[in-house]
Amino acid sequence: MATDLLKTAAEFSVQGPIWSFDFYIGDYHVIISESIVVQWIVMAVLAVVFFILGRNLKVRTTSRRQMAAEYLVGLFRNMVRDTMGEKYHKYTAYIGALFCFSILNSLSSLFGFRSPTSDLSVVAAWGLVTFVLTQRNKFKTGGVKGFFKGFVEPLPFMLPFNIIGEIANPVSQTLRHFANILAGSVIGGLIYFALGQIANGLGSIGLPAILSLYFDCFSAFIQAYIFCTLTMAYVSGADCSED
Amino acid sequence: MIELLNIAEETATTQGQFSLVSIDPNTIVFTLINTLIIFLIYFFFLHKPVCKILDQRAEMVNKEMDEAEQAKNEAAAVKAEYEQRLQESKEEANKIVAEATKKAQQRETEIIASANEEAAQLKKRAEESIEKEKKKAINEIKEEISEMVVMAASKVAEKEISEKDNEKIIDTVLSQIGEND
Repeated sequence: MATDLLKTAAEFSVQGPIWSFDFYIGDYHVIISESIVVQWIVMAVLAVVFFILGRNLKVRTTSRRQMAAEYLVGLFRNMVRDTMGEKYHKYTAYIGALFCFSILNSLSSLFGFRSPTSDLSVVAAWGLVTFVLTQRNKFKTGGVKGFFKGFVEPLPFMLPFNIIGEIANPVSQTLRHFANILAGSVIGGLIYFALGQIANGLGSIGLPAILSLYFDCFSAFIQAYIFCTLTMAYVSGADCSED
Repeated sequence: MIELLNIAEETATTQGQFSLVSIDPNTIVFTLINTLIIFLIYFFFLHKPVCKILDQRAEMVNKEMDEAEQAKNEAAAVKAEYEQRLQESKEEANKIVAEATKKAQQRETEIIASANEEAAQLKKRAEESIEKEKKKAINEIKEEISEMVVMAASKVAEKEISEKDNEKIIDTVLSQIGEND
């Protein structure tokens, strides 16, 4: 039976995102991948949720809807305040939006979609944002001098390492997020495949649910949280100002 | 596992499908746009209104706490003022009572004194009038006696005696009577 399993394992494969549709603008080939389409669905859901949560707010209220809205916003507010400090409260909205977007993108696999976060390009875009924000903050707080000075500290020969470090931070956080979600879906797929092979669906009731709880729900949450925390840490860590 | 990796390689970007690990500029650009849109939706639909409400509430709570503090202070001040007033009015009442008592006592002694005086005067006057009456009575008696004496004497003497002699005799008699009693 084990040999059968290994033989049939060759049939199992995890595919990259498919092209949902593609068109040409002039000579440029625009490809809209599955990830983008799923993102649009997630965006629609989030827009409705945000709109419902955010309307008819009152200073004095006992409405559960408003309490949920306040809890959510307060959560991100506190998260940013604790990690970055009061000075960076303007990043709260981005972190909140990114967190919600990332977590729902990952959770979309529960509805049978291919998680956009298991597509490297998607997470790379967010990593790129982090990189830009980090460099921008460095430039903003330290000026031109502080920006370049940061690369030759503590000693000038550290320059290449500093440059690598600057690039490695967003790359590592990108790969961590992407790879965790992808690995989750690969393991999930393997389990379904294996269970299908050995028991013809008999054992596929309990175990996948538990594994799915970890690899989809928990992992989705923890990766979104880690990605946001790292973004905050990198951006506020780039502060070159003297105080 | 090696077979798995081979499969992954085989599915590297073909028409209609991306490879498992690939970076596609289109996806990056669209993801950036989508993230920006979600950011704007989150910011304008949820973050901004909720933050506004939270700030308003914080402001309101601060204001109400300040007001409560103020009201408390005012109440304490009013209480102190009333206590002081109460104390003052108590003192005043005590003073008034004391004054009234003093006045009454004074009045009492005055009344008693005047009554005593009046009584004394009355007594004196009564004594005087008694004395006067007594004297008057004595005089009347004296006159009566003198008349009787004159009458008796004239009857005895049967003789007209001048008024002057008469009086002289009477006085003598009277003084003798006076000496006798």
